[in-house]
Amino acid sequence: MNCSLHSRRSALQTLSCGFGALALAGITAQQQARAALPANPLAPRAPHFKPRAKRVIFLFMSGGVSHVDSFDHKPRLTADDGKMMDFADLRSLAKTGKSPQQRVMKPLWNFSQHGQSGAWASDLFPEMAQHMDDLCLIRSMHTEGIAHGPATLFLHTGTTTFIRPSMGAWVSYGLGTENENLPAFVSLSPALGNGGPRNYGNAFLPAIYQGTAMGRAGVPATEATIRNLKSPRSPEEAKRQFDLLRELNAEQLRAKPGESELEAVVNSYELAWRMQGAAPEVLDINGESPETLALYGIGEKETDNFGRQCLLARRMAESGVRFIQVNYADNSNNPAWDQHSNLKKHGEHAKAVDKPVAGLLADLKQRGLLDDTIVWWGGEFGRTPYAERNGTGRDHNPAGFSVWVAGGGFKRGVTYGETDEFGHHAVVDKVHMHDLHATILHALGLDHEKLTYRYAGRDFRLTDVYGHIVSDLFT
Amino acid sequence: MFPRTTVLLATAFALNAPAFADEGLDFFEKKVRPLLAERCLDCHSEAKKVKGGLRLDLREGWVKGGDSGPAIVPGEPDKSLFITAIRYSDRDLQMPEKRKLPDEEIAILEQWVKMGAPDPRTSGTVAKKQTGLSLEEGRKFWSYAPVQKPAVPAVKDAAWARGDLDRFILAKIEAAGAQPAPDATPEALVRRLYYDLVGLPPTPEQIDAFAKAAAVNRPQATEKLVDELLASPHFGERWGRHWLDVARFAESSGGGRTLLFKDAWRYRDYVIQSLNADVPFDRFIREQIAGDLLPAATPEDARRQVSATAFLALGPTNYEEQDKQQLRFDVIDEQLETLGRGFLGQTIGCARCHDHKFDPVSQRDYYAMAGIFASTRTLFNYTDNVARWIAAPLPAAGPNEVALLAHETKLAALEKDLEGAKAELTKASKAVTEVTNKPGVPVAAGDLPGIIIDDAQAKIVGEWKHSKHVRSYIGDGYVHDLNQGKGEKTITFTPSLPKAGRYEVRLAYAHLDGGRATNVRVTVLHADGEDNVFIDQTQVPPIDGRFVSLGKFRFEKDGAGYVLITNDDSNGYVTVDALQFIPEGDATAAEESRDAANPQRAAAAKRVRKLETDLKKLKKEGPARDTAMAVRDDDQVADVQIRVRGVEKQRGETVPRGFLTVALRNEAPAIPANQSGRRELADWIASAENPLTTRVFVNRTWTWLFGTGLVRTVDNFGTTGEKPAHPELIDHLATRFVEQGWSVKRLVREIVLSRTWQQAVATPAASDMDNRLFAHANRRRLDAEQIRDTILSVSGQLKLDLYGLNIGGAGDIDANDFSAQNTEYAYVYADTRRSVYTPAFRNKRLELFEAFDFGDINATMGQRNVSTVAPQALYLLNHSFVVEQARAAAERTLASSDDGDARLVSAFRRTLGRAPTATELAKCRRFLGASASLETWAQLHQTLFATLDFRYLD
Repeated sequence: MNCSLHSRRSALQTLSCGFGALALAGITAQQQARAALPANPLAPRAPHFKPRAKRVIFLFMSGGVSHVDSFDHKPRLTADDGKMMDFADLRSLAKTGKSPQQRVMKPLWNFSQHGQSGAWASDLFPEMAQHMDDLCLIRSMHTEGIAHGPATLFLHTGTTTFIRPSMGAWVSYGLGTENENLPAFVSLSPALGNGGPRNYGNAFLPAIYQGTAMGRAGVPATEATIRNLKSPRSPEEAKRQFDLLRELNAEQLRAKPGESELEAVVNSYELAWRMQGAAPEVLDINGESPETLALYGIGEKETDNFGRQCLLARRMAESGVRFIQVNYADNSNNPAWDQHSNLKKHGEHAKAVDKPVAGLLADLKQRGLLDDTIVWWGGEFGRTPYAERNGTGRDHNPAGFSVWVAGGGFKRGVTYGETDEFGHHAVVDKVHMHDLHATILHALGLDHEKLTYRYAGRDFRLTDVYGHIVSDLFT
Repeated sequence: MFPRTTVLLATAFALNAPAFADEGLDFFEKKVRPLLAERCLDCHSEAKKVKGGLRLDLREGWVKGGDSGPAIVPGEPDKSLFITAIRYSDRDLQMPEKRKLPDEEIAILEQWVKMGAPDPRTSGTVAKKQTGLSLEEGRKFWSYAPVQKPAVPAVKDAAWARGDLDRFILAKIEAAGAQPAPDATPEALVRRLYYDLVGLPPTPEQIDAFAKAAAVNRPQATEKLVDELLASPHFGERWGRHWLDVARFAESSGGGRTLLFKDAWRYRDYVIQSLNADVPFDRFIREQIAGDLLPAATPEDARRQVSATAFLALGPTNYEEQDKQQLRFDVIDEQLETLGRGFLGQTIGCARCHDHKFDPVSQRDYYAMAGIFASTRTLFNYTDNVARWIAAPLPAAGPNEVALLAHETKLAALEKDLEGAKAELTKASKAVTEVTNKPGVPVAAGDLPGIIIDDAQAKIVGEWKHSKHVRSYIGDGYVHDLNQGKGEKTITFTPSLPKAGRYEVRLAYAHLDGGRATNVRVTVLHADGEDNVFIDQTQVPPIDGRFVSLGKFRFEKDGAGYVLITNDDSNGYVTVDALQFIPEGDATAAEESRDAANPQRAAAAKRVRKLETDLKKLKKEGPARDTAMAVRDDDQVADVQIRVRGVEKQRGETVPRGFLTVALRNEAPAIPANQSGRRELADWIASAENPLTTRVFVNRTWTWLFGTGLVRTVDNFGTTGEKPAHPELIDHLATRFVEQGWSVKRLVREIVLSRTWQQAVATPAASDMDNRLFAHANRRRLDAEQIRDTILSVSGQLKLDLYGLNIGGAGDIDANDFSAQNTEYAYVYADTRRSVYTPAFRNKRLELFEAFDFGDINATMGQRNVSTVAPQALYLLNHSFVVEQARAAAERTLASSDDGDARLVSAFRRTLGRAPTATELAKCRRFLGASASLETWAQLHQTLFATLDFRYLD
């Protein structure tokens, strides 16, 4: 781990379970969950302090977007294009302990400055580039995991190896939902691979905090919906059947009075019944104006699918879903952005996401939603500044890459942190993935050191014993 | 990377270090102290924080160092971790973490260390604080103290108790001034027995039979039914499933690249069979930890025992981890964690990075046990891009083994023949090479076997000159580097290979005796890593005067893989003509086209081809040996070094292999130097002397039968776990368990025949809301498998076949092939066997299991969560499985009778185990109306599946 000089001692201070607390510890996770949670565990809960934002939309770029071709401008790559040079290639080092020379490869897209802020961005994402004044661009990210699986799990759960809850699950646990007719945490079109369900899993948190997958990678967004939401019967039949269930359950409950758990089950049917009515409306984009559809690129071949996902994300944000993940992903082991060769293909992917993402930003802004919504765009790592196989693509780079966040109390039009002159390793104002997690939780009013859950005798956190809040990013 | 120049510059500074003490202190005060204060002390001082255990506010601080050891070696900047950290040269050790120091500041600190690190700050001492419980205190803690046979308490209501178990429970109930609940009704009892012992609902006939017998003599009827159910093969299915939860059983690895565990079912069957055969639990433990090392009387025993060790292998391993040493230690950690929780109720994993914060488990203990698993082989090798487990060959019984051995002998002989024939061929080929050694003639790429990539198709960087000077080229000439611009030119061949597998890779170059480089570096990136081969181009290419073999490598289909030739550091002309990829097994085809002129060679080639065909045929036709996921002792057995803070590369002291010190009563069993120590570990765990093992297991059994444990933190018997409500009862049960030969069936029998277990469900008393007195039964939710198996049995679709592989299309996979995930991702769950046989994929689970708290199958789960969420309701209301099974159930109901009320009674009895109440009958009649269709009956059945009385067991 990169944070190896961190102490676990500071974490211990927050555990508040020295010996004095042992007597209190004698309950199972399940009972603790029951005791600690209100009757509805998804009821909105007060954050630890005044939040800047209420919800998150995470636009996950699976496979690793090349930062040196998009947001991290490195003139030396052009100057030294084609030269064989020494780089500490992480994959070679992990495998062999040695790193051969690598050929510097210039970006395939031209960089220019944008907006009032003059922030650099390439013409890989021309539409997003129009929003540079809205973005808080972090160019000094670094993370763990060289292969997709470990790095993707790290991005979502804060560990490459261990079985831990996903960030959305932690946020749902910390804040509950604002709309009980909808799940608190939704992952739109997630992939089966590279961590699969663990990326939206609850691990040891109560199951209610698990992300609800809508659709999956490879299935058109038009078919993405909450599972089992639609009755196979006609509305009248369904109603008649549900009424019978109500009657039988009322009768059976009468025979066993005072059992709150049985009442909770009865209530879960009522909630499900209401969801069947309310949720489809939220998920139906037919009422949107042609202008809005066009803003997201819906109706255009390249952008239709991701545009629909982004629009759904906005509709769910409006309706009070707490954590919405939009996946640009597929089920392969070389996911979408994984251009080991033929880097030009980045252009196709950029085309698919650029307009929808820019449209989402514009739409959130015009509706005033951007003020309390954090939009987070990024992948599990970046790519190397040198050519893989000395050819036409780039390998994974967890040592330095870029992500951006927008809205939700983050500074706008700001560029934070630096990689070295080739864009390989983050060196200035480094932001580890743990730090980003801590910072986003902070924006939601959650103290990442206090958002804990007792499991197997220990309090667990999303950030383990790491994570610093990058307060420079906040307005 | 950080450009090398920066580091060099910094080092140059340090060379001028002054060496006088006063000057040194002066330097410290003027330059170093302010720097430390500004840059370091926020995180490394007593006044603020002491991160990583390192203090830099005192000389003793850096002398002693932090968790990684001494921070500064005076006079030796290159050996000082402190300097390594600030140089940012080691990715795992970079300080200050947020931003690298300016070069001037690094230079100052380097100079200071070079000077001998003069530092006047010497007050006080730096001692590490002890955090966890000491060994001595720990041994007094209830779960680490020896199991005692407690005296059975006296009770007032002697008639109530049926045995000692009841006396322990009743004594506490009486002491609390409470009353036990009345006995459960026979109807409730029979359902409870069926669900708890075999996981299936009783049929109406079985309910009637029991009610009738119980009316005559209830204790006798109960005992008879219990014995029947314990003897049923379905007992193992139900109770095996409990253990599979502990063993985090799954049939794929999940996570990153999920890989199908095609043999994992053998472990599942091993567990079910062991419970059915009532294998003593101590043996069950030994087999899972060290089955491969135990003597086996029969081939069947050997098969069982080897299959049992899958317990150690079927974790959620991240086979894709690129650092294979890291992977190795991650696997060990997972093994220790599973074994620790599963058998001992200990969170051993906490001690991977530091002494346990609460429990008396030291980091030494952890690495003592880690040494046992580091001496055990779990991964097939440490080189594959995506690693894999060991598929151990299993012996067969009697004639089958004879046939297998005969087959294998034949195979071996044939393989030997083939080897010899190949040697002949090579010899003959050399002769040919000498013939064609003269300036050759050009050949078209299409005339050569395998996959040819000509220089024209390669990615060329820098100036390479085209030439046809040396005539033995392929295609349209070759290129050379003009013997200029060394280090600037490369050529990369990227093959597009039609299938994954091993290929022989050959490079064609244009040889000349003079002027050619003798040290051309060729880099091959293949699926298992990267290799460099150096070619002497003053030598004649050994194959046909055109090619030199670079070796055999494994490649993924269309995956990352390339061959790169560079002129870097070369000492003459570098030439490149073409590249040839020949699939393994096809090598002779490469020779095929060649000179029939050499009959010796042609004959040798023919013989090789024939033998290869024969071998393939024999392999296909002969019997195939079964394999099991398993572990084995490694060829290298050794103690391991502590990994400081759990970081694989930061190694500390070597710890002799051993066990958990706090739970050792006597001498630790000695571990033979040439064995892993798994056998001794198993013996230590499976010993009646071990204070944890039996306590943990009897508590698990109690939990599986009562829904809640005597200790509710079933997987945690450490100091952060719950203390037992009835410590004497746990010890009583643990003692009985050992006395009765570690028989699980006897333990279960004793509990379910107790009066305590047979109490009725009641409303908890206000003074005991959690029912810690066990003064009544707890109402329990059907779990995911019970829901599915019951729905299928009501619908008549349940198939009760026992055992065996149940994944359609499962077979050997190539971990590195991108299609390896297809079986799981494309899997359609359609069978109607019992849920214990449902494929247990980690990345794609059965939806019903996900919805109904089956739980995470990635880690030990001694007790499942119970949640009440809307998706469960939505599942029962709308999922096609429920809808279809309800329709099948309705068909049976309609066939059962022509009378509407009789049909309703049948539906209720089959689904809920009881007849409808008058109110229920009335509601249902109204719902059905005068002439209900099959569809309406289906709706009624579906509704019953959603009722409270279906989902809960009294």
